[in-house]
Amino acid sequence: MSNIVDARGLSCPQPVLLTVEKIKQLKAGKLEILVDTESALENVKRAVVDNNWTVDVVNAVDGEYNIQASKA
Amino acid sequence: MRLIGRVIQNLKRRFRKSSHHGLGLLVFENTSEVIRAEQILKKEGCDVSVKGPPPELRKGCDLVIEFQLVEELRVRCVLQKQGASILDVVPLNSELLQPVDIFQTRDFGDYLMVRAANMKITVDKQSTMIVNISGGGCPDVPYLAQEMVGKKLQDAPTPRDIGHTLCGYALQLAYEEIQQQC
Repeated sequence: MSNIVDARGLSCPQPVLLTVEKIKQLKAGKLEILVDTESALENVKRAVVDNNWTVDVVNAVDGEYNIQASKA
Repeated sequence: MRLIGRVIQNLKRRFRKSSHHGLGLLVFENTSEVIRAEQILKKEGCDVSVKGPPPELRKGCDLVIEFQLVEELRVRCVLQKQGASILDVVPLNSELLQPVDIFQTRDFGDYLMVRAANMKITVDKQSTMIVNISGGGCPDVPYLAQEMVGKKLQDAPTPRDIGHTLCGYALQLAYEEIQQQC
């Protein structure tokens, strides 16, 4: 199962909904979420934390964001 | 008695959705005036709702108040007493002059999103948990999201109580609408 959510080009709330769905599927482990707006970044980070996962790293390159999250 | 009142309000809302007969629009100088007028009129028990104006009526303000024309004198009186000035009163007697509903609803399967003006709220249909709040661009939006996301609709603080901007106001409208739909 791919642990990447590519939500680039999608407007809120879709990046959040895709992330929440993936978190439900995985239950634990590592997850990578790709978004391309700052509001999506903030909303996804909030959704990750609300679901008791941790945001480990956020890499920003050319207006795109790679969010790495995990749950032990 | 409260149940009867709610049934009557629902019937009125349904009638109003199907027909604009007997309705008019109050046009104001700016959005802040609309919000203030709406609060005054609702406090006085007037049957009003905030709408997007038809293109023909746009006068620099993105919102108008829809009201029952039979109440025009009372509405004018109430607002005059409170120092709220109406820019124009327009009867909705033309098919071309239809107000735009400021609400948009989108069903994402397990989730329901309601957009009111520039604000969106998304709820998990089964649990009524708020999963996302977005839109706006006002400084209090991150705070509103932080306080409301992750809570059930009935447990979350209302944007009216914790918001300070037009985004908070729009979110309150979306919040009330999604409560009715969930």
